[in-house]
Amino acid sequence: MSLGLERMASCFQGIIPAMFYTCSQDGTPNAAFLSHVDYVDATHVALSFQFFNKSRRNIAENPHAVVHLTDPDNAQGWALRLTYERSETSGPIFDRMFWRIEAIASYTGLKGIFKLLAADIYKVESVESVPEEDGQPDRQAPPLRAKPPDPVFTMKALQDLSMQINTADSLEHLLDSIVVGLKRHFNFSHSMIALAGEKPDTLVMIASRGYEQSGAGAEVHFGEGIIGLVAEAKKPIRISGLMRGMLHAYAAKRRAEEKGWCSDERRVPLPGLENPSSQLGVPLTVRGELIGVLCIESETPYRFHEEDKTSIELLGSYLAVAIQNMQLQDDEVEGSSGTVAGPPASATVESRVTRRELAYYRDEEVVMLDGEYLIRSLPARILWKLLQMRERDGRSEFTNRELRLDKSLNLPDFKDNLETRLLLLRRRLEEKGGGIRLVPKGRGRFALDVTGDLELVERD
Amino acid sequence: MIDEILAEFLQSGLGIHFGTRNEQLEPAGCRAAAVKVEGDGRHVVVYLPKAASPQVFGNLRTNGHAAVSMARPTDDRAVQLKGLMLFSWDAKPEEEHLARAQWNGFLGQLDAIGLPGAATSSWKIFPCVAVRIKVTAVFNQTPGPDAGGALS
Repeated sequence: MSLGLERMASCFQGIIPAMFYTCSQDGTPNAAFLSHVDYVDATHVALSFQFFNKSRRNIAENPHAVVHLTDPDNAQGWALRLTYERSETSGPIFDRMFWRIEAIASYTGLKGIFKLLAADIYKVESVESVPEEDGQPDRQAPPLRAKPPDPVFTMKALQDLSMQINTADSLEHLLDSIVVGLKRHFNFSHSMIALAGEKPDTLVMIASRGYEQSGAGAEVHFGEGIIGLVAEAKKPIRISGLMRGMLHAYAAKRRAEEKGWCSDERRVPLPGLENPSSQLGVPLTVRGELIGVLCIESETPYRFHEEDKTSIELLGSYLAVAIQNMQLQDDEVEGSSGTVAGPPASATVESRVTRRELAYYRDEEVVMLDGEYLIRSLPARILWKLLQMRERDGRSEFTNRELRLDKSLNLPDFKDNLETRLLLLRRRLEEKGGGIRLVPKGRGRFALDVTGDLELVERD
Repeated sequence: MIDEILAEFLQSGLGIHFGTRNEQLEPAGCRAAAVKVEGDGRHVVVYLPKAASPQVFGNLRTNGHAAVSMARPTDDRAVQLKGLMLFSWDAKPEEEHLARAQWNGFLGQLDAIGLPGAATSSWKIFPCVAVRIKVTAVFNQTPGPDAGGALS
């Protein structure tokens, strides 16, 4: 006979903490809060084992337990009578729980302390309603969370997004059409794409939608936040009830700090929404190679569903191939080779009176504009090169090909991702470059547009 | 056992859960509306919904062992008491008044973290049964590396 666990998906999202009842061998009961109970299959659930606490010791002595869950849709409480079966330290169940906890730990600066030691698997013997937590059959009162959204990853939406991004004729248009399409066809207002960076184990934010700051050029190290964790795991990570999880982790952090077990460093700033309730990170991989990560955020708890996993992975694979194809295409098909002479693109623009200083720090490979950080690494080297050519030769238009042939830029011989770096540079300049702009002039060609006077300074 | 500062926290309107067990050491539990710390700091009265599972009351009658877990939703600060039931009675009107005040405080905490307390309006928390417990141990239960450490 079915226990009905399959129909209790909303209870397993961690939106409302669960209560875990155990009993020691000497007959002392224990009641402990749990941040998350995971659905395993029709007869099993998994509980996270993070600390050697009393509940864990009790289970080692006496395998009987009860967990109370509350349905966030209608406030109905459920009592699951459990028997401990085994602990898993690897495999899909462990991985799913591990990466969710790692993401929360990353945001709260608790990596290494707030972590999953094992996924404890329990057989569910029975499911009964909790009599004092009677649900709302007529739903007259507000539900404990926002109404669940309709399933979002439909074939129709995937097809529509596919059609939209197929019309893109450049990497920039492709990335923009992805984040715009996610809003138009899936109603995801907040999304961002980070692509593999020049430095190993680093991603660089390249496109976003729905945020005050685009974040273009922001670096994300592997293992940091959901984007870094998805990159590290190369697996989709979905987090619901994020606010609850973070409250739980912050409580643990406070205790750890009091004990001197972790530093008082501020958490890694969360890219995007200040208080997201749901996050979905999708790895963009082609033949096992990580191209980047797509991250979607929502202020709605339980926005992304477990059953969407297949569609999400399909979407990630499709986008990864599309991005890589565009990167390769941009590399192969370029405009005319050689230099393009012409008047400076800014010639018709009214000059500013203010003279600004753009400094290139050679050792750090960092460009600062009027003392403020602008960009680093390869995009910084490219910008510096372009500005020098502009000043020395009076040039304003350039080609990708000449940059690719320029040995001083140290581009890799294979898969240099030059188009991606130029796009990153263009976006960073749009946001922080004042009057300095890169203006596309057809495939493989662009202009450097500088408004006003610029003093170039090179420093060690 | 329970000093004034801790008593103030415990009576501030927390999420309270009450654990028991039967003779086969199988646990059973329920939600509680409120807790009152007696002046000696060694006894508490826990207000349990009359509608709670009969197993909970049966276990109390049989062996009296109880665990009372209390947590503040806004920061997950939590404490657990262990003890033995001495006796129980139907809560009097003035006791229910006290219990409702604490329960409303808890609902306010839920509101503060974005879970509408009003959504629990269909729960059968009242009327209550008052259960007097002799406290035998107090533990810190705030999530973290030292959760489970004795407070007294």
